[in-house]
Amino acid sequence: MTNSAAKPLSPWKASGPKKAKKRKANSDDGSVVQSLNGGWGYLFTAPFVIMFLIFGLAPVIYSVYIAFFQWDPLDFTHVYIGLDNFVRVVQDEQFWLAVRNTFSIWALSTFPQMVMAIALANVLRNPMLKFKTFWRTMLLVPNITSVLAVAIVFGQLFSRDFGLVNLAREYLGMSNHINFVSETIPGHIAIATMITWRWLGYNALIFLAAMLAVPNELYEAASIDGASSWRQFLYVTLPGIRNTITFVLVVGTIGGLQVFAEPLTLAGGESGGDSRQFSTLTLFLFEQAHMGNWGYAATIGIMITFIVLIISGINFVFTRRLGSGENVQ
Amino acid sequence: MKKLSARIAGIAIAFALPLSLVAPASAAPAAVTLTVWTYGNVIEPQAITDYKKLHPEITIQLKKSGLDAHHQSLITSFLANKTPDIAAIEVSYSGYFRSYPQYFTDLRQAPYNSASIEKNYLDWRWDQGVGYEGTVFGIPTDVGGMQVAYRPDLFKAHGLPSTRDAVGKLWPTWNAFIATGQKYQKNLTKAEKTSCTKKKVCYGFIDNAGTIYNAVLNQGTKKYYENDNTKDGKLVYGSNSQVKAAFQTTATALGSGIGTNINSFTNDWNVGMNKGIFATILAPAWMMDYIKQQAPKTKGKWDIASLPGGGGNLGGSQLSIPKSAVHKKEAWDFMSWYLSPEEQLSIFKQYGLFPSTSVLYNDPALKDFKDPFFNNAPVGQIYGSSVQTLKPIYEGKKQRAIDNIIGQALSRVGLKKQSAASAWTQAMNEIKSAVGPSK
Repeated sequence: MTNSAAKPLSPWKASGPKKAKKRKANSDDGSVVQSLNGGWGYLFTAPFVIMFLIFGLAPVIYSVYIAFFQWDPLDFTHVYIGLDNFVRVVQDEQFWLAVRNTFSIWALSTFPQMVMAIALANVLRNPMLKFKTFWRTMLLVPNITSVLAVAIVFGQLFSRDFGLVNLAREYLGMSNHINFVSETIPGHIAIATMITWRWLGYNALIFLAAMLAVPNELYEAASIDGASSWRQFLYVTLPGIRNTITFVLVVGTIGGLQVFAEPLTLAGGESGGDSRQFSTLTLFLFEQAHMGNWGYAATIGIMITFIVLIISGINFVFTRRLGSGENVQ
Repeated sequence: MKKLSARIAGIAIAFALPLSLVAPASAAPAAVTLTVWTYGNVIEPQAITDYKKLHPEITIQLKKSGLDAHHQSLITSFLANKTPDIAAIEVSYSGYFRSYPQYFTDLRQAPYNSASIEKNYLDWRWDQGVGYEGTVFGIPTDVGGMQVAYRPDLFKAHGLPSTRDAVGKLWPTWNAFIATGQKYQKNLTKAEKTSCTKKKVCYGFIDNAGTIYNAVLNQGTKKYYENDNTKDGKLVYGSNSQVKAAFQTTATALGSGIGTNINSFTNDWNVGMNKGIFATILAPAWMMDYIKQQAPKTKGKWDIASLPGGGGNLGGSQLSIPKSAVHKKEAWDFMSWYLSPEEQLSIFKQYGLFPSTSVLYNDPALKDFKDPFFNNAPVGQIYGSSVQTLKPIYEGKKQRAIDNIIGQALSRVGLKKQSAASAWTQAMNEIKSAVGPSK
């Protein structure tokens, strides 16, 4: 393949008078390629590697280091306390509460969102749909809106006495006002709504792209066999986008573990509401750092890393199963 | 020859004239950009425009953040050695920064000589800018003060006297304040009462009874820390009876149902202010401007009465010059201008930020100042008398965190999630794990 491709590229070389020269030229070419594979490679990857070392790896190492200290940022000396921070974090009710809050918000935002995104994508896939580009563009608008602006607007929508959500409920006959800022599950739903609103369109577009890649013949064959559009969706579309579903789930989980701005704004403080009901993992880390407990905050960061690793492991196993399942099919 | 030189001079003037109009800085000292980090309205925009007229060569670059975010980024800037020229420090954080005077310019020293202006300010406000080694790291901006902003029309409608003096006499103590509130609640219309029992909008005497806590605590002599002349101070939140007393007074108020449980600075609060959902707000002087901004249609419907239990305070900040500031001299020039009695007076008249310069308190310009928005209340005199009765309080290192924890506990009591006793126990445990045991 490479030989046949190389020959027509340099016919003039082959017709050259001296064979020795040609061989030399060839060896020159080889050395250029070799040096590209060697030293040059490092040079080209250097910008990323250097940036990563400075802004990625160094802070990680530093965090691990300060996790062994009682570290108030402005102090000149810091007290080495060994594993105390780790013992404390495992026993800290507030930490486990933050874990529970994070997973509750994650579950409430991820699963309804997946269903809605797939449904939306299925609507957009419809070839009869008018103004296709317009709809697809509109889907991305929530995603490019500033998180903070979203959180402030939603905070107003969900306010207890004069928020639109409660007024709408009143109009529908549910007279009692829900205190979204103080009650746990309604609050989590409010935050999940913000997250869903923000990411729904983005995920729908990803699903749409996956759906458009499903070969049309499959649909044609299915409709010849008399499958209804619902059955086509179940047996053609869904299996076709299975890998994408996993991908969206993984990305959603990583995002879900980092939920921060929404609970911060809705709760109106770093401690996450009067019963710490919005205190997510990242918010808890932030709160501790701002109390001057950098060592403890670093420890929480390490714990978050472990949680992410565990979940990534589960995801990995899950994805592999799915992948092998597809191969069998 | 003479003619020629005259002509040259003429040309020179002709060139210089427009130049001086465009850039007068060319004659004055070199142009300097001062970076100033604040939160909220510590430095009012009008002051920056005014200062530009006085000192065209100085450009003030203002960075405003949220209260917590501002102080956190300040800490980071200290660590990075890349600080602003002027930084505002709010009183809830002054206890923290007083432990670290090494990061600030000591303003006692020449050329600042803070001692020469110290006498102009309220003593307890001045102390909030003094570090633990006696260094002066900040000069006071406005003082919060604290009074009761109330709605005479709503008072009248609910069977209470409505004039300023009569209202002040209703509540010499906090218990009397709570009793007055209960009287108000009793006289709510039937519709207003059922609205609350049906879990809709609750009408109430005060926006949130939880705000009483800070008012009571600041009327005392100490809070969560005691000054033992160490860097971090001594934690006494558990043993100091004033903390528990303030907590209990507030819990009683919350339990008596006089508040609407609407939190300050929320959407509901802004709407409630306009709709007369609540009749009183415990208002520091700086809140007057907020009420004006948020509820302009209620102009003239408000009045200011004195706070139960004597004077009060909430908030207030110092301006400081970090040690690694680049333009220290220019920073000091601006600060000493902005915080001078004259300028504080003009800021008060425009924005209601109450001067911390006590020399002004007998000045007719301040004493006789009346605010039409607040039914022509003599706000200058009312707030002036309020702040002079306060005693200095030692502001502790992690006061902000402790305040937050107690605030959450009181909020749980207010929403009937927890009894006052168990909320107190939980708060004490949380404070212990957050900042350490009380001694």
